[in-house]
Amino acid sequence: MAVPVIMPRQGQSVETCIITQWIKKKGETVKKGDILFSYETDKASFDAESEADGILLEIFRQEGDEVPVLTSVAAIGNKGENVDALQPEAALHETVRPETEKTTPAETSNDVRSKTTGVYEQKRGAAKASADVPLQKAEAGDRQSDGTDTRIRISPRARAMASELGVESYAIRGTGPNGRIIVRDIESAPKETKASPKQLVYKEPAEIKDYTVAPGTGYEDKKLTNVRRLIARAMHESISMSAQLTHHMSADVRHLLALRDKVKAEMAQGSTINITLNDMVCFATIKALQKFPEVNSHFLGESIRTFRKVHLGIAVDTPRGLMVPVVQNASDLSLQGLSGRLAGVADQCRKGNINPELLASTAASFTVSNLGNYGVELFTPIINLPQVAILGVNTITYRPADLGKGVFGFIPVMGLSLTYDHRAIDGGPATLFLKEIKDQIEAFNEKI
Amino acid sequence: MPKSQFIDPKVIRKAGKITFGTIPVNQYNKKLADERNHFADGDLIRIYRDMVIIREFETMLNDIKIRNEYHGIGYNHPGPAHLSIGQEAAAVGMAYHLSVDDLIFGSHRSHGEILAKGLSAITKLEDGDLMSIMKGYFDGRILSIVEKERNGNVKDLAVRFLLYGTLAEIFARENGFNKGLGGSMHAFFTPFGVYPNNAIVGGSGDIAVGAALYKKVNNKPGIVVCNIGDASMACGPVWEGISFAAMDQYTELWDEAYRGGLPIIFNVINNQYGMGGQTCGETMGYGIAARIGAGVNEDMMHAERVDGYNPLAVIDAFKRKKKLLLEKKGPVLIDTLTYRFSGHSPSDASSYRSKEELEAWQDVDSIVTFGEDLVKEGITKKDELENIRSVTVDLIRKILSLAIDDSISPRIDLEKYPDAIGGMMFSNGSVDRFDDREPEVLMPLSENPRVKSIKSRERFYLDKNGKPASKAKVFQLRDGIFEAIIDRFYKDPTLVAYGEENRDWGGAFAVYRGLTESLPYHRLFNTPIAEGAIAGTAIGYGMAGGRVIAEIMYCDFLGRCGDEVFNQLPKWQSMSGNLIKMPVVIRVSVGSKYGAQHSQDWSSLVAHIPGIKVVFPTTPYDAKGLMNSALQGTDPVIFFESQRIYDVGEQFHEGGVPEGYYEIPLGEPDIKREGTDITILTIGSTLYTAIQAAEKLQSVYNMSAEIIDARTLVPFNYDPVLESVRKTGRIILASDACSRGSYLRDMASNITELAFDDLDAPPVVVGSRNWITPAYEMEQYFFPQPDWIIDAIHERIVPLKGHQAKTDWSVTGQMNRSQAGV
Repeated sequence: MAVPVIMPRQGQSVETCIITQWIKKKGETVKKGDILFSYETDKASFDAESEADGILLEIFRQEGDEVPVLTSVAAIGNKGENVDALQPEAALHETVRPETEKTTPAETSNDVRSKTTGVYEQKRGAAKASADVPLQKAEAGDRQSDGTDTRIRISPRARAMASELGVESYAIRGTGPNGRIIVRDIESAPKETKASPKQLVYKEPAEIKDYTVAPGTGYEDKKLTNVRRLIARAMHESISMSAQLTHHMSADVRHLLALRDKVKAEMAQGSTINITLNDMVCFATIKALQKFPEVNSHFLGESIRTFRKVHLGIAVDTPRGLMVPVVQNASDLSLQGLSGRLAGVADQCRKGNINPELLASTAASFTVSNLGNYGVELFTPIINLPQVAILGVNTITYRPADLGKGVFGFIPVMGLSLTYDHRAIDGGPATLFLKEIKDQIEAFNEKI
Repeated sequence: MPKSQFIDPKVIRKAGKITFGTIPVNQYNKKLADERNHFADGDLIRIYRDMVIIREFETMLNDIKIRNEYHGIGYNHPGPAHLSIGQEAAAVGMAYHLSVDDLIFGSHRSHGEILAKGLSAITKLEDGDLMSIMKGYFDGRILSIVEKERNGNVKDLAVRFLLYGTLAEIFARENGFNKGLGGSMHAFFTPFGVYPNNAIVGGSGDIAVGAALYKKVNNKPGIVVCNIGDASMACGPVWEGISFAAMDQYTELWDEAYRGGLPIIFNVINNQYGMGGQTCGETMGYGIAARIGAGVNEDMMHAERVDGYNPLAVIDAFKRKKKLLLEKKGPVLIDTLTYRFSGHSPSDASSYRSKEELEAWQDVDSIVTFGEDLVKEGITKKDELENIRSVTVDLIRKILSLAIDDSISPRIDLEKYPDAIGGMMFSNGSVDRFDDREPEVLMPLSENPRVKSIKSRERFYLDKNGKPASKAKVFQLRDGIFEAIIDRFYKDPTLVAYGEENRDWGGAFAVYRGLTESLPYHRLFNTPIAEGAIAGTAIGYGMAGGRVIAEIMYCDFLGRCGDEVFNQLPKWQSMSGNLIKMPVVIRVSVGSKYGAQHSQDWSSLVAHIPGIKVVFPTTPYDAKGLMNSALQGTDPVIFFESQRIYDVGEQFHEGGVPEGYYEIPLGEPDIKREGTDITILTIGSTLYTAIQAAEKLQSVYNMSAEIIDARTLVPFNYDPVLESVRKTGRIILASDACSRGSYLRDMASNITELAFDDLDAPPVVVGSRNWITPAYEMEQYFFPQPDWIIDAIHERIVPLKGHQAKTDWSVTGQMNRSQAGV
């Protein structure tokens, strides 16, 4: 009996995913655990493994398709089996309408039940798909959402309340009739979904200039990936909605370089502990943040939320674009612990299997972006709202300095670029905070 | 059912036979020479002139309709023009002896009667009175137009005034007698005794009777002439009006001072066609319309056919019949034989009659023959008659050019004043009494037995010990209505109340118990079982200047007075240009227990019609206060009452029902129970169903319901409802009306539009099933129950923890029922 391949759901808030690549082709034999296809959410990329042995009989969704989660994208079974019944309902209508429920046979999984958006839809669907698609009776569709409904139903009052409280309504399960999100659902929403106040709600630019007319044919148009779209949106939002500016300062890293040399030497001896300069800078920054809690905060428009612990975001360059995973409770970690966690999340990002919840800008209280490896001497990092500042780490250059006793020489200095949101922090404290990082770096004395 | 009248089997079981007297047909046989003693030459010439004016007025309209031109003046009139060319002698003869106090009502074809009555009034009024009427009407606006080129005496000026006001009305100009809101079929001018003509065939048949009742009850001078067509004799309102006018009680039971028949003439202007249907020989069976009088009463309605092609014959008949009415021997039926040369309307191809027939009548054209008689008799000369005709043509040309000139005769500027017509739908007056005389009552109010018995009742539903008072001891909803009504009877001498079983019985549901003791017959009486006439006469009574309460025993009987309630009652204030007041309250009792034709809440049907106020109180306090407002106002009010709750005590108003007078303004919903989680808006007795639902919601589901009683459907102030929805975010609407097309749907739609952003769920309507009302034992499956309200909340608004719905509120269920038409 053929079984459907279901687009997994990655995190509560994910409604659709885009298939980026089919690893297996139609007709290929697959085994349980084989990677069938890659896909991405708006925040991260993933690989989907086969949950069955058999032949990839049909691929319903092609690369580039945006697919509602928990709907079927392909079918696996024995040769010659009919897979029509496993078609997603929308495919029968030939138009992809994200708000339309897709149908899968009820018996395939307890979690994935067939369902339609409403009785009227169901009736029409039933008339068209009649024998092929077993549809559930109206009772189920009438009332409760079973969680697979991709359309967000929300009452006007609940919508207004969500906006007021900064609740991200798509993350909430509606308990009203037909799965509608009603006021009581907003009221009981978990705190983290109430993070962004309405002042920070991003609005698309009123007008996007028409760049479609270009000379000649020497170019290629590529649709934005989800990740690209998200970055574009977040960056533009940050620049357009906050008052950010950057201070630059340099720190003497002779001590840091000596420690790094020591790490390298120990690794040559067989140690697996690879504490990088970046780990040390981050560690110093966490210490500085603990002295300047106002920087370790979110600006919420009407209020500033200061965090007791440091949840450190770290910018990671990946083939899919910039990602900023968070190391939560970073202030609880030792240098070695921090080093391990930073390496871990960066690795997950590059592999594309990071938990999307760790990519939310609201998950971090402060971010470090290190371009030192690339030889960047000075830059102005962009804040991840609603965080109030971000530290840019530059490459190490050499600078003449008074070494004491009338001796002058060149010392290595690392450029530090602190972008801060002037709505939340004034120039004085920002400078003092940057100076504190510098001091922490220069006086770095953690055991390696 | 008066006990004074003994129905003795010994007497009425005796053998016998009915014999009829004779009904004269065209018995007038005088020559003009015979009449010269009774008429001055000038009067005879004026009869001729009046006929010529009417002929020319109608000819002008005919030309405008058919050729868009009259004597070189072009105009397009898209509206109606039912003309009476050929019927002039009937109109002038009818009006000749009528005084200004005599009122005429008309039909769709009444231009001739309006002008004839107007010309007659102008002749009879003193110049000073004429001037003051013209100056007073719309602050002299019409007068100012015709006065500019005044070149004659006041009476000539008044003729121009009459013609211009009428024509401007026909052309929908603001200078028309009714601001252009009546038009051809509804033009009238009450200062000359011209009351509404009516676009519904037979529409005046009962309304005119109400005006006659007003004259009689209030001792007002004058008679009423109901001008209707021969074809309308088949219409229910005419029969019902005749029945109402011919009741025995006027002569048998009413007090000496009021004894006698109604002063009304049913004047059948018998042009022998109902549109194209020939009443004699085809569509009716009476042969001669006067025959109908024979079956109505012993007087045979003093019926008579007169030759309406001889103005003197008609004048003679009306003189004799008016005398009968003044002797209180009405009602009278006159069958005025006539013929129209013009078609039913300009689109009439006259396919139903022969050319020979038309020519035969034109050969005896009353204007020609009467003119010839005048010349033959030496009363005037041919060229003088010719002069009358040419002067009239000039006059009509002048009036036409004034009436079609947009700068002189603009229409109501609805661009500039978009609410101008809206502002005339209601008069919104507040009037204690419509006459200053002492109200006729039989005893002081305080001695009325019911007033005395009510005195000892508990005016709150709990007695002094905080326990619910027994039905026998509690002040009930019906007592609230009674108190308001009897209070008004002692204030307003014009107030009358009638309906089926209103006297002696005290109304089928005992609302009027005790009124009989206080009121003479002419103020409270039983009517025939004729809802059309009950409502229709009330309209005429109100229109003529009196206040009236008519009762429709069951809401289901509203269909029996559909035209009166839908077409007449709501329209006349605005169609008159807001000149007429309509202080008419129609009490309508909504039944239960008696099945499909005695249990319907039709408040939605009435609320749909613009021009009526619709009230539905549910507590004694509201019933009294709202009835007081209805009776203080000047607008038509349909006052719904529910038979389920006539006996409820006041549970909401603190301190109970006040003993004194108070008003509750129409249009204000009332919060009956405060709550925070859901709003329930009810109409009618469903309030008490909602209270039960609210109790259960609170105790079982910890949900606090706010209950608002609409109290009034039209007008309606949404503020309190919207404020409540702002608080609760949820609303459910409930009433006993069938849910399809229920007024609640209109409210739900308005609330959705007005409070969309406050809503946590769509407003949900809980109404009755779209079925026949089953027997009482099955009513729980038909009318909204407390559990239905809770189920609807659970299924449509907010799921209630642990609740299991028993009734089907599924989307499929709703759609399937709709598809099945139930």
